[in-house]
Amino acid sequence: MSEAVITLDHVSASERDQTLVEDISFTVHRGEAVALVGSNASGKGLVLRLCAGLEAPASGTVRVLGADPARATEEQLLGLRQQVGFVFAKPALISNMTVFNNVALPLRYHTALPETEIQERALARLTECGVDAFRDRMPSDLTLGDARQAALARAMVMDPDILCVDEVLLGLDADELVRLRKILERYRKAGRPTIVATVNAPTSLLRVMDRLVLLRDGRLVATCPPAEALQVVDPMVQDFFGSQ
Amino acid sequence: MIAWTGRKTLEGLEFAAAVLVLGLRAFRELFSPARRGRGEVFRVITRQILFTGVDALPVVGAIALMLGLIIIIQAGTTLPQVGAGAFLAKIIELTLVRELGPLLTAFIVIWRSGTAICTELGNMQVGQEIAALDAMGISLIRFLVMPRVAGVVLAMVCLTIYFDFIAIVGGFLVAKIHLTIPIQVYLEEIEETLSVSDVLITVIKSVLFGFTIAVICCHHGLSVVGATTEVPQQTTRAMLNTVTACLVLDIIVSVGFYL
Repeated sequence: MSEAVITLDHVSASERDQTLVEDISFTVHRGEAVALVGSNASGKGLVLRLCAGLEAPASGTVRVLGADPARATEEQLLGLRQQVGFVFAKPALISNMTVFNNVALPLRYHTALPETEIQERALARLTECGVDAFRDRMPSDLTLGDARQAALARAMVMDPDILCVDEVLLGLDADELVRLRKILERYRKAGRPTIVATVNAPTSLLRVMDRLVLLRDGRLVATCPPAEALQVVDPMVQDFFGSQ
Repeated sequence: MIAWTGRKTLEGLEFAAAVLVLGLRAFRELFSPARRGRGEVFRVITRQILFTGVDALPVVGAIALMLGLIIIIQAGTTLPQVGAGAFLAKIIELTLVRELGPLLTAFIVIWRSGTAICTELGNMQVGQEIAALDAMGISLIRFLVMPRVAGVVLAMVCLTIYFDFIAIVGGFLVAKIHLTIPIQVYLEEIEETLSVSDVLITVIKSVLFGFTIAVICCHHGLSVVGATTEVPQQTTRAMLNTVTACLVLDIIVSVGFYL
């Protein structure tokens, strides 16, 4: 088995003084595609942020690419952030920059690449995500789905080792869903990056995933391949996949 | 009552400490040898100077002209009546250059740019843009706070000098219709009265005001947690705190240099 890139060991975490995640342990290996599956109040968003090293656990240990984000220095965190691409539920594009400048921002900030190469790379990502036509538009001019695709392009532009996508289905229409599935499939064939995404409804995207991490009320119910999900004896899981 | 006073004092101290730490981090970042994101940071500084400085020239010029006109007309018509016509230049220097120039320019910058900085950062918090920058490994101090502080300080110094110049020369030219003092004599008197230390203290004040305005407004903008209703609340607090801080700083500098 390939090396572990994300490890959560007996992790509990809270948000605004409320415990949302309790005693969760699982590992994600390099090149793996994992879906955190659960309803809206299952704590999967917080688990995803823990996986990306954006939140510190209240107890337990999180290791991302060999580092413990809770104990990392500012410099180590900076390095870690460049290796983890994160797409928030809200597109979170910088509102006073064009879509293109948003995607080019990480390259311009972190690298010393010539501007021509930055433009090439940013445009390639925008094209891959199907939003190259909107490159000169401001984020406020985009639909939620297009803005999310632009945010995905921005998260992928640094060629991260881990790609985290929160609420992967949010704002997508049928065409965009197919396009996203193709992007993920292409990445799966290339073997990188490791993908972790949260999903709150049954979707064909789950077929692209290697493993599902099923969550209910902040607790881990089971981890299994998508094909075996229906065999998990849990009412939430049965309801979730029974409606598929 | 005692508990309320104690709580408010502690909140005030906490606020002062948070602003001081943010200011020190921005100041340290300004002189950081790190090359990371230099081009992007320079772009933000330029945009801030354009907005705070260049775009404010008409409003600062108009206010300076009107204020200069009022003071010169009042002083130029009243002082000769009490046999103190020779003090016109001194009055101009005292009121405009030492006090009103830096202070009124600071108030204009607070109303225009302070509110804009606070609102922009607050809305960025609400839209998760700040969280996204953090997730991309982009330093909030280096990319958001330091360029705004540098831009506001540079713009503030230039605007204060511009304000003083327009108020003194422009105000006199407009007021000349009613005054009999030749401009040559007026300018010579100003030149004689105005010392290097006056100009230096004006610059020191404008640097302090600019730094304080930018840091306090950034602090309040970044203090927005998640609701859009917090943005105007934090902006109001930022206005009140920056005006108070500028007045306190003005008193400290004036007492320190002139008493």
